[in-house]
Amino acid sequence: MKKPVAQQVMVITGSSKGMGKAIAQHFLKEGYLVVGCSRGATTLDEENYHHTQVDVGDETQVRAWVRGIKDRFQRIDVLVCNAGSVQSALLMAVTPNDILQTFIRSHILGTYYVCREVSKVMVGVQSGRIITVSSLGVPLHLEGTSAYSATKSAVIEMTKILAKELAPLGITCNSFSPALFLTEATNEMGKEWAARLLEKQTIKRAVSADEICNVISFLASPQSGAITGQVINMGLVS
Amino acid sequence: MNEQQAIDLIKSSLQKLVNNGMLSKDTVVSPEMVLLGIGSPLDSIGFVVFVTDLEERVSHETHKDLYLVLNEIQEFNVNQPHLTIAVLAKYIVQLSAGQMA
Repeated sequence: MKKPVAQQVMVITGSSKGMGKAIAQHFLKEGYLVVGCSRGATTLDEENYHHTQVDVGDETQVRAWVRGIKDRFQRIDVLVCNAGSVQSALLMAVTPNDILQTFIRSHILGTYYVCREVSKVMVGVQSGRIITVSSLGVPLHLEGTSAYSATKSAVIEMTKILAKELAPLGITCNSFSPALFLTEATNEMGKEWAARLLEKQTIKRAVSADEICNVISFLASPQSGAITGQVINMGLVS
Repeated sequence: MNEQQAIDLIKSSLQKLVNNGMLSKDTVVSPEMVLLGIGSPLDSIGFVVFVTDLEERVSHETHKDLYLVLNEIQEFNVNQPHLTIAVLAKYIVQLSAGQMA
């Protein structure tokens, strides 16, 4: 039996760009060994960063990826289930099926498969931290996000149920909803969309990567072992 | 893999639960022992730990990426769960032989 690596291992999905990449960079600096994935090639070239091209909506690919992590590093301490899609906001009446299917695949199936397979690794050692990414679209019931927010709402629900299931083993599961975080994807949504979201936030500004990583650090810390099944809404009083 | 080898792997996984204090050391392990359903000494989280450990042992032993999928077990009805060691061992033999979908 191989020995686990000495460093703490953080697994991040959707780590090649946007928020996932920023999270990976932050926790590499914090001394974690970071294992990331995305559908595309890596955009990070760091000694302690290991990337695999994975479609998280594909059960077979996710199983092989997580088993590979287990075989190679023998531990997963923290999972940040970040992979997701942001696409143009359309009212439900004119939302095409392919947009709906994309959200179901990346948010519901992707989160489910990754959490299921990683939780098996954590169950074996009876410790771990699972952090999923939800959206302010859920508490705000934002117009034009019926598919997006419905699938993000599913992420919250599965996080809470998994939290209850894994609590006896000392594994915590929490979710956070970032306020507007400026990425290529959100820039593509346009200034009007961003202004509308900011208007509905309590703290009317975009959040920084540091602020997001601070939430993850808090949830991942050993001292947060009594916090599970919670959703942290950044920049919003809900 | 034959049935006896599969049973031995199952026993090893159950022993791990005993070592973890999740299963009484007085538990009688036989092919008729119920793993899931009325009469099982495992609670739901104990069953998860058991399946996770067994999946790893089976993959390691066969050098194949194998996953235990409960609804593939023909003699196991998920609506009336009653999974014994013998039934699970048969399934593992089929799985390792590549006979499952």
